[in-house]
Amino acid sequence: MKNIDIQAKEKALDLLRDKSDTKLITHMNACVRCGLCADSCMYYLTFKEAKYIPAAKVAAVSSLYRRYCTFAGKVAPSLVNAKELNEEYAAEMVDLLFGSCTVCGRCVKHCSIGVDIAYVVKKGREMLATMDMVPATLQATVDAAINTGNNMAIPVEEFTDTIKWLEGDLIDEMENPEARIPLDEYDKELFYTLNPREPKFFPLSISAMAKVFYAAKASWTLSTKYYDVTNYGFFNSNTAEATQIAKNLYDEVHKLRGKKLILGECGHGSRANRWEGPNYLKKSYDFETLTAVELIGDYIRKGTITLDKSLNNEVFTIHDPCNLVRNGGMFKEIRFVVNSAVENLVEMNPYGNDNYCCGGGGGMLAMSEYNEGRLKTGKIKADQILATGAKVVITPCHNCVDQLLQLNHTYKMGVKIVTIAEIVADAIVKNNKNKTI
Amino acid sequence: MNWYIIAALAALLICIISFAFQFFNLIKAGAPRDLSEKSGDLSGAILYSYTKAMMPKHKESAYLHMPTYAAGLIYHMGTFLSLALFVALLIFRFAGVEIPGIISLSIAVLLIITSLSGFGILLKRIVKKDLRYLSGPDDYISNLLTTMIQLLSALYLLFPATEPVYFVFAALLFLWMPVGKTKHVLYFFSARYHLGYFYGWRGTWPE
Repeated sequence: MKNIDIQAKEKALDLLRDKSDTKLITHMNACVRCGLCADSCMYYLTFKEAKYIPAAKVAAVSSLYRRYCTFAGKVAPSLVNAKELNEEYAAEMVDLLFGSCTVCGRCVKHCSIGVDIAYVVKKGREMLATMDMVPATLQATVDAAINTGNNMAIPVEEFTDTIKWLEGDLIDEMENPEARIPLDEYDKELFYTLNPREPKFFPLSISAMAKVFYAAKASWTLSTKYYDVTNYGFFNSNTAEATQIAKNLYDEVHKLRGKKLILGECGHGSRANRWEGPNYLKKSYDFETLTAVELIGDYIRKGTITLDKSLNNEVFTIHDPCNLVRNGGMFKEIRFVVNSAVENLVEMNPYGNDNYCCGGGGGMLAMSEYNEGRLKTGKIKADQILATGAKVVITPCHNCVDQLLQLNHTYKMGVKIVTIAEIVADAIVKNNKNKTI
Repeated sequence: MNWYIIAALAALLICIISFAFQFFNLIKAGAPRDLSEKSGDLSGAILYSYTKAMMPKHKESAYLHMPTYAAGLIYHMGTFLSLALFVALLIFRFAGVEIPGIISLSIAVLLIITSLSGFGILLKRIVKKDLRYLSGPDDYISNLLTTMIQLLSALYLLFPATEPVYFVFAALLFLWMPVGKTKHVLYFFSARYHLGYFYGWRGTWPE
């Protein structure tokens, strides 16, 4: 068991002592431990153990708050469920807050009180990060992003080669030498970002978005150094690291003088940049930040691209990424784009803001020590997908794609997993010529 | 004035001051600050958070647990009725006003029903393994005091001789309220506000 340095412990507890954070004070005092949140959590539903009830995760943090930040907790801790922070307790927190929660926030929406359980879990993670207790695998992912510019540590040369190869294919496919995947170009309208999983494992999703940009005659570029939309600092909850990663992207947009930051298909990456980024950097962004879904939606509305949904004629379903939908407000926009691109959409039950996490959120995909739990909890998603009868699952998140592919294999679902750019690219027709590109 | 009434009044004063202090701290901390670009209808979402989002069909914690939800609703109505009654009874007592028998009886019957809901919820916490896991002394004390004040209010209305017990329990409840989880009487409203703010800023709510 890791020894906790007294100074680190005090720094961690200082996070709870912040009297200027009204949200913190509220959520540390609001839970009544009714336990009705249990059925909203995929960990509880899978394992049926009380420790997985979201209220127990709240208690892991609020018990410390009561012990160190309230009068009653200081004088009569056992009376008000206040707990001491020690090595054993912190180790339990690691398993509970990192290993048993995807921070999907499904329990938040359904809490009888309205406790922001995900926020409390992240606060607990932040405390653990302060005590240097982030699971090593997750920390390695964050370190890679900080040290190399992307979380998979892809060297610039390798990335450039991949993009050049994809550009060659695009030129061949479009039969037009002006079909491009621009790199490090200045003064472009759109600064596009990717999940590093794309150049590493799913290059065709880059091609798909390049096709959309080509059809839209977009002015766009990728950076060769800072193209990574992800921010695992959001998951390890080390604010300094999350800020550094967000700042790298912010500075790169400025360096290349991009007008709009377009967030590639990644749920947490979109959240970390669109909603959290300005708060990490403590300043409003002076450029527009849009998700790829919103950009494509805009293209469709304005007639910049034309889609023929009959080109996508299988049965489709949507997996809603938690950070884009419940925590990002993209429910309607995703439906608009998908319904414009496919003929036959069957929704899961539940779906949208109530949808279950795929099981790979919260940094789970990076933490191999929790693989078993991740795949077991993912059965809920697998069952949801199978119940729709769909042959293709659309999800605008590469983390979700990765988890869904693993679920597809584990539970023998026999479905295809695609991103929104992929189905849109497949449905694009040349304007007025009714010819696919 | 009897000692137990003085004790209850003193406890009430401590309770009010303590809650005022906690409320002041919340206000002093200010509204949430978000530097990202707002995308939704903030005031609509906050209103939604206090209203439609609380309806059973919008919350699994309600529609998957209807008996508990109903019991909780009744129980909370009883709590607020008891608190209002405490003030009313004091005023009537000092003003020498007698509550008509039929009204006393009606309120007492209501409070017996609400306290039964409270005991039901307490029993559930004791019996169910998962709830026992979540619970500590605070959970039992909070429930017991809140339930007992409802029952004792009813008994006091029916049998005035129970007055000392009633006021002693009221004093205990007032002392415990700002300390135990009963303080959610304040933080519930703040939590709903923050939830509405969070979802409203991002355009998730109103649904």
